[in-house]
Amino acid sequence: MTPTKVLFLDGVREEVVEPATGPRTALGSDPFEAADAAEEPFSERLEKLRPLQGPRPGLLRDASSPSASPPRVRRPKSLGPDATLKPRGWARTPRLAEVDFAEQSGLLRLLPESERRRLAALDHLVDGEAPYDRFGFSPGALRAAFPLFFALYRFYFRVKSEGHENIPAEGPAILAANHGGLLPFDGAMGIVDILLHTDPPRLARAIVDRWAGRLPWVNVFYARVGQVIGTRENFSDLLEDGQLVFVFPEGVEGIRKLVTQRYRLQRFHVGFVEQSLRAGAPIIPMAVLGSDDQAPILFDLKPVARRLGLPVLPITPTFPWFGPLGLLPYPVRYRIVYGEPLRFHERFGPEGAEDPRLIRYLANQVRRSVQSLVDRHR
Amino acid sequence: MPAVLVTHADEPLGRRIVKTLFHDERIERILALGGGPAPRSFDRFLAGSPPRVAYARVDLAKHRPMADLFRSSRFREASIDTVVHVPSHGPTGALASKERAGPLVSGVPPRTAEARLVLQHSLDARSVTSLIVIGSAFVYRLAPGNANRLSETSELDLDPNVPAEIRSWIDCDMVFHAEVGNHRARVVLLRVPTVVASGGFVYFNPALSGPRGLRLRPIGFDPMCAVVADQDVARAVLAAVHGGSSGVYNVAGTEHLPLSVLGRWTRRPTVPVPDPVLRAAAFAATVLREPQLRASVEGTHLRYGFSLDTRRAERDLGFRPSYRVGLGRAGDGRVQLETSPV
Repeated sequence: MTPTKVLFLDGVREEVVEPATGPRTALGSDPFEAADAAEEPFSERLEKLRPLQGPRPGLLRDASSPSASPPRVRRPKSLGPDATLKPRGWARTPRLAEVDFAEQSGLLRLLPESERRRLAALDHLVDGEAPYDRFGFSPGALRAAFPLFFALYRFYFRVKSEGHENIPAEGPAILAANHGGLLPFDGAMGIVDILLHTDPPRLARAIVDRWAGRLPWVNVFYARVGQVIGTRENFSDLLEDGQLVFVFPEGVEGIRKLVTQRYRLQRFHVGFVEQSLRAGAPIIPMAVLGSDDQAPILFDLKPVARRLGLPVLPITPTFPWFGPLGLLPYPVRYRIVYGEPLRFHERFGPEGAEDPRLIRYLANQVRRSVQSLVDRHR
Repeated sequence: MPAVLVTHADEPLGRRIVKTLFHDERIERILALGGGPAPRSFDRFLAGSPPRVAYARVDLAKHRPMADLFRSSRFREASIDTVVHVPSHGPTGALASKERAGPLVSGVPPRTAEARLVLQHSLDARSVTSLIVIGSAFVYRLAPGNANRLSETSELDLDPNVPAEIRSWIDCDMVFHAEVGNHRARVVLLRVPTVVASGGFVYFNPALSGPRGLRLRPIGFDPMCAVVADQDVARAVLAAVHGGSSGVYNVAGTEHLPLSVLGRWTRRPTVPVPDPVLRAAAFAATVLREPQLRASVEGTHLRYGFSLDTRRAERDLGFRPSYRVGLGRAGDGRVQLETSPV
């Protein structure tokens, strides 16, 4: 045994003795020796295994049968060794002319070919083998829901829109719109309109309030059609991914507006401006006309709503008199206008995101832009 | 050249890790521990003279067998410098044998007792300089929705009402997390989400663990589950063995699947039921003392999904997932989850 000198932090030197490194009897039983004694030698185990090597019932078929080969796991073609990971970059969809799409069934057959191509192009937004992104978006679910929303867009709300040239063909961007109506059909119509008027087709990812994540069914539906709960991480992930993010900066205050305040924008939340500066994404002001007329609120029973944990408890000409049906929107005509992009990031850069006063000022600028679009086209 | 001790090597993930380490020529020796007999797949590892792999049956939750192990001549001769602790994740619960599920040890679940003993003996053993532990990502607190992007600094779910099965993962996590700054041994904690293996096997997901069969989930919810291939977990362990860093790392693949789809593709279809049914099932599980069954019918993971931020593992360990999880068709014609290298 060799004594070793050790210098402790307090400066005292001590000599310690290293433990013996040679063979030493263990205090208890040695589990490895026990295992060696208990286990048969490998060669003997192999001999015993040989008779078992025949076909196992239920797994392998009889060797005399025509299909003697064992059942094999067939993997999708794209899972083969030749497949390569997509390089990290912006989520892109191909141009309409480049989209390969198979014949679709069900209600989708009723859609014009260009619309079916647009839906097929969205498959490219999902990376990897599983047909879902991390937020739960599924192109298949969107395809299933699209005919209903397309019918609403075309025949119920009879949407007219202009200014699509202001939506960038690729890369991150934020659409900031006014909010109205009890149910978020303004968001749905905005998403459908953008999908139908962009090439390559773009899916706007709407940011929804956190409470939507608690609602049964609603949370699943929102996630599957591409809407995302508004957290900083989600917002920045979407922009990093080069996606189009759709926000209603008024938040719940927008849908609480009484009929006397319709088309008067409420105070804007500011998070989207901060994200825009950090990610270098332009903000596109967007006016949605018609949403404030779809369910005019006469009174809002705020104290009762607060007790029930609801964002709003309205009295409208039809609600609560007709029960839940009274919440359905009136068949008003929608008009959507996209304004010129506001490129604050080019002037202020990501450092601007650290200045709360600047952010508030820029959010007010966006509010003014949206308000002027609304006033001009009303 | 590192010599590695792997715990629970007889369970699926442990087997995968031993296999990966065995095929890495930079690993000198592997001591594999398990609760049962050596798996058949180890036969070719145990062959050879001298064999690079040795296997022993050890009850990791008991102090005496663990002390015997760490004082054994084989352990000393092998100069084990790295311990890879894979907590038990095999089939336990109502349909598995009671012996395998293990009784409470001094009032704590076996997983926690094992964690404590592995940590204690590893730190006591002079030769051990690295301790690598697999933890579960279900330890994090989840907010409503699928918006939970969890980094290593996210809050753990310390709610007292959390199911005991998840609580044991949290305890296990905290036992090792407390030693991350240890100056004598490097402690690496790898938090993994749902682990998927070829053939439609799934581990570490409290809602789907255990044998195949029907599962319950709350009606109106279908959370997104982050998944990772078992090969990728083994690769992350290998990266941690050879790396020099210590800390907590999230390890996940690129795919995410809803719980319903994940269940269907792993032959554990989920049935949406109203809350009272789930509560009754949780009560029954409590009465039957089946913590795993309770975790499969109770907890926020049944409602809210999450994804893991793996940038730290990418930066420090150089780990990026290189296996994909997708659908394959089995010999009997059923569609099931498969993993495949990119």
